Amino acid sequence: MSNPLLILRNFLFYLFIWITVGVIHILFLYNSASLSLKDSISDSIVFNIVYMGLGLGLWYPVKFLSIENRSSSRFALQHVLAALSTSVLWLGLSALILLVVLNPGRELDSFLMRTAGWRILIGVMLYVIIASFYYLYIFYNSYNEKLIKESELKSYAREAELKSLKYQINPHFLFNSLNSISSLTLTDPSKAREMTIKLSEYMRMTLSESEKQFHNLSEEIKNVRLYLDIEKVRFGSKFEYVEELASSSSGVMIPPMILQPLLENAIKYGVYESLEKVIIKLSCQKENNYLKISVENNYDQEAVSPSGEKIGLKNILNRLSLVYHQDNLLVVDNRDGIFKVNIFIPLGES
Amino acid sequence: MSKINTVIIDDEPLAREIVKAYLKNFPEIEIAAECDNGFQGIKAINEFKPDLIFLDVQMPKINGFEMLELLEELPVVIFTTAYDQYALKAFEANAADYLLKPFSEERFSEAISKASFFLADKKRNEETLGNVFEQMDKKKEFLERVVVKNGPRIHIIPADKISFIEAQDDYVMINTAEGRFLKQKTMKFFEDHLNPEEFIRIHRSFLVRLSEIKQIELFEKETYRVQTSGGKFLPVSKSGYSRLKEIFQ
Repeated sequence: MSNPLLILRNFLFYLFIWITVGVIHILFLYNSASLSLKDSISDSIVFNIVYMGLGLGLWYPVKFLSIENRSSSRFALQHVLAALSTSVLWLGLSALILLVVLNPGRELDSFLMRTAGWRILIGVMLYVIIASFYYLYIFYNSYNEKLIKESELKSYAREAELKSLKYQINPHFLFNSLNSISSLTLTDPSKAREMTIKLSEYMRMTLSESEKQFHNLSEEIKNVRLYLDIEKVRFGSKFEYVEELASSSSGVMIPPMILQPLLENAIKYGVYESLEKVIIKLSCQKENNYLKISVENNYDQEAVSPSGEKIGLKNILNRLSLVYHQDNLLVVDNRDGIFKVNIFIPLGES
Repeated sequence: MSKINTVIIDDEPLAREIVKAYLKNFPEIEIAAECDNGFQGIKAINEFKPDLIFLDVQMPKINGFEMLELLEELPVVIFTTAYDQYALKAFEANAADYLLKPFSEERFSEAISKASFFLADKKRNEETLGNVFEQMDKKKEFLERVVVKNGPRIHIIPADKISFIEAQDDYVMINTAEGRFLKQKTMKFFEDHLNPEEFIRIHRSFLVRLSEIKQIELFEKETYRVQTSGGKFLPVSKSGYSRLKEIFQ
């Protein structure tokens, strides 16, 4: 965030206020302190222009002394010090300019001496007003930002929900699975029954889980297994699924259906496009302050992959950054015919 | 009555299984081979010369359509696919029949009786399959790859590896950094099916990838030519030049 008063519109408003203050200043000195008009004007111009400049500079201590990061007593002390030093600086600088540069008569000279205490007080008051304005501005801005983020998050959640709903009725997956079941009814009825049950379980799971914001990693893995079981029946020995799960990871909460698209990709770009056997490996382990989940598969480097591969990964990245406010939680590692996606879930957050 | 020879091509074992099971009701149809990908399919078709094939659309490396493209003689085709209506509409009226997975035994029998019409009239079959290609071309947005058969070898050329295409009588020569491949297709086909943001027709006989153009230079008075990054010079026609100007200005 940069100094709000340096935006032209705000600056003009700032200038307007100082001009008003300056005029009142002149009238006050001329009428009540019975100073000459010339002295009143020079006093007003110098003191007000100097504070106007200092006021712009106050943005930086305000930005630096943010309320959240400090204890309140330290925060108050630092501001008192800043206010006093600003005031003294104001008085000194203005007096210097008035006395040395403009060289006024004795009258103003002694007037300055008499009112020094008052001026320090006024300086502190100005400090309070300007600093409060800055704090209000920061607060208002971050509040607005929060509102925008929140509505973004909401719409994203809705979108994700919609997508997972769409996923369930993905015609290709569904019809091919039903075709397998239809085939099994002739050749192996009990297996057909088993697959019907798996398919229903899987669909029910995606329906109920996609409504939650978080669920257990073990829930997610259960779903993944169901999905791969169904695909296994279709593709037979064309792929193998391997799991490497650290036992400590199962209780970690993760956004639901976040791994689903990765396995779908592994099937679509690995198994579907390859004539060789594909090994899909899922591994989870804790690493520093993250749960690292990796999905990897070998693929045929010569196969021309169908377009659209990037969208699924981008969606996951977007979801992760909206949930965890970090946009480096997905890393793709693609080399030597192995496609690996690593997802990092921050621990201690859910 | 002579037997009808058939080959079943599908990458899913269970999908082949159900075709086999339904075929038990048709003793006149004999299964010559079962294949789980398009390459095997081509081999089996060339070897067994089947009268009829059951063909899945989505298979690894080359899909069902691409496989048919590479055949010299076309058998009668029944497509088996789980694809949605849009893809199906494209060839609804043209193939001997299509079976939408999962399909019933009744529907299967219907497909067989439709196919027997085609078997009785081979010529008609070839005509309609010609239409299938045209129709299925329409459903694709842009080509992602081109398959070329060169003797026993099948080349799969990703569209983004093509540097330029040159017309040669009834064929086109597809030029890539790895080599040149002859294919029986028209320039018009490639002009229509390659992404126009990536390829430009610069001449009646030349279609070139934009990123391959190294420079455009004056050749003779008012005629231009393009130098490709591979160092080839390609002629530019008048209309080709105005298209180039539009893009590079």
